[in-house]
Amino acid sequence: MVELLAPAGNLEMVKAAVENGANAIYVGARGWSRRRDAYELSDEKLHEATRIAHSGGAKIRVAINTNMQSCEIPSLLKKMEKFVGWGIDGAIMTDVGAIGQVHRRFPDLVLHASIGANILNNEDVKFYRSIGVSQVVADTKLTLRELASREADIDVGIEVLIHANHCYTYLGKCWMSPYMRLERTADDFGKDVFRGSPNRGGLDYRVCLEQWELLDDKALLEPVITLKNDAFFFLDDIPALIDLGVHCLKIQGREYPVPLVAGIVRFYRELIDTYVAKPAEQPFDLAPWRMRLEAIQAERDSKRSNMTLVLLNEARQPVPHRT
Amino acid sequence: MGPFELNTTISNLRNLRESDLSAYDAVYLGNIYCRIYEDNFLERLDDLEEGIALVKGQGLRAYVTSYAAPRNDVLPKVQKALETAAAAGADAVEVHNLGVLRMVHEQFPGMPAHIGGFANVYTDAGAEVLKEYGAVRFTPNYEISLDEVGAITRGVGMPAELVVHGKMPLGVSDYCFLLEYEQKWPEKCPTLCQKNLFLKQGDWAMRSVGKGVLSGKDVCMLEHLPALIAAGHNVFRIEAAYETPAYRLNIARIYRAALERAAAGDRTEDESAWSTIREHTAVGLCNGFYFGRTGAEYVGKRPQSAVAC
Repeated sequence: MVELLAPAGNLEMVKAAVENGANAIYVGARGWSRRRDAYELSDEKLHEATRIAHSGGAKIRVAINTNMQSCEIPSLLKKMEKFVGWGIDGAIMTDVGAIGQVHRRFPDLVLHASIGANILNNEDVKFYRSIGVSQVVADTKLTLRELASREADIDVGIEVLIHANHCYTYLGKCWMSPYMRLERTADDFGKDVFRGSPNRGGLDYRVCLEQWELLDDKALLEPVITLKNDAFFFLDDIPALIDLGVHCLKIQGREYPVPLVAGIVRFYRELIDTYVAKPAEQPFDLAPWRMRLEAIQAERDSKRSNMTLVLLNEARQPVPHRT
Repeated sequence: MGPFELNTTISNLRNLRESDLSAYDAVYLGNIYCRIYEDNFLERLDDLEEGIALVKGQGLRAYVTSYAAPRNDVLPKVQKALETAAAAGADAVEVHNLGVLRMVHEQFPGMPAHIGGFANVYTDAGAEVLKEYGAVRFTPNYEISLDEVGAITRGVGMPAELVVHGKMPLGVSDYCFLLEYEQKWPEKCPTLCQKNLFLKQGDWAMRSVGKGVLSGKDVCMLEHLPALIAAGHNVFRIEAAYETPAYRLNIARIYRAALERAAAGDRTEDESAWSTIREHTAVGLCNGFYFGRTGAEYVGKRPQSAVAC
């Protein structure tokens, strides 16, 4: 049975995701995941999230998927010691060195290669398998044909994002945002924060979403260029993904309001259950699902546009330099 | 290798033939962004073979790069390019994708692998894993500081290759937006992306190459070379894949002379170099992320206008 994995940017969202049918949730450890700290959980809250998820019959995965600094790996291992003791079900990671060390220290912990690892081909999957990863998040640009072509002998689960963004660039291979603004600070616990770098755990200013002029030297070629960046919901491909045997359908969106995330989780729970329950020979009519999704999508688009404006404005603010 | 290596990137045979490489020690052959870049070495294997011979014939080391973001359907072509590199005597291959690193390690075990900037080396533990897969050199991810680079080289004992001048990669895409507009313009693919195209918005600017985004400003570490040499770095790159032969030559001459002075402990500076550098930059200079700041900033004695990124 395919697993539905939901985001949880706070404890209320943990509860809502579990109650609305998520098989598993993921949370970000404060300072260690690819979202700003407002959508991550302190250790204490992460402990509580573990209890809530497990008591609702769901698994919990912890995102520690920043591209960290060499000097931070020992403190990461200490943190993991605590999380594993609390019974988390898996960790979502990016840095190959940190993955290797966590795997050696906690060989029974399920490790997921994050979207930031930008896994694009079968050889990539084999590489990550060799260092201890047992599930990988497929890049959002991969097609169904590419997912279907995964070699059967690679013993690795595939996670597919069913609500996320198609960025212009590959995720994990873009540093446009910190090129425009990078503010390096420290959080309350002394951990470095790279505000402006999504790969390093700070927020992404979404500078790609500016309306750009295109110039050839000094001559204006196009007054407005919009780099492709679409937030998407999968619908038509869900039956095919289930039939392909993907292990996990993952929803992104820790930064969205709780009722919106709850609605998205409920929608996909019902869609998956209805599809799986129908007799194999019976056609599946997506039309009513499409109508429901349109309403969810309109709400998501409105929230996303507002967030983008706030981020682009913040990106223009001067950086107070540390001495 | 002498006290240092200065290298650059060239995408096709025409550019290679037009370039004076006398100030370089090594050249990376191939374009990492796009398969249909004009006569990309990575697609034209006869040209690649000839290119390797041309570079080696000048007494330089010939490296073959590989795609920044190869999907399954590209791997057979990557395999062919690796075979050509090995057969033609390339001195190393550059890999940006860990799957390709695995291919090199398994199928070409004697071939040194240089880890490219898109392979995301951020930590010493990460570099150690790649070393076990045959890496002998790494370009750190562009967004880490020199302090962090130092922690990795000390921790792993593997040299870092640093971009000291040129347009720093900022991102790679599977999608060339230029193709949406090219029918309106006189220049067409596959040479369109070689035009000096900039995405601008207010005081922000980035160089666009269709499937890639580069810094608008040129990274310039000229005045910091003595510090880099003193820190033990000895492999330097002029990122000039989309630059003219004149850029490739003139910038390299400046850096070669400055590196020789720095390696000899001579701290004098050639003031005349700065006018040449300014002639070869469209929107200014920056230091990338080497000093832990916003990538478009410049740190040093040569204050840069804050007009454009």
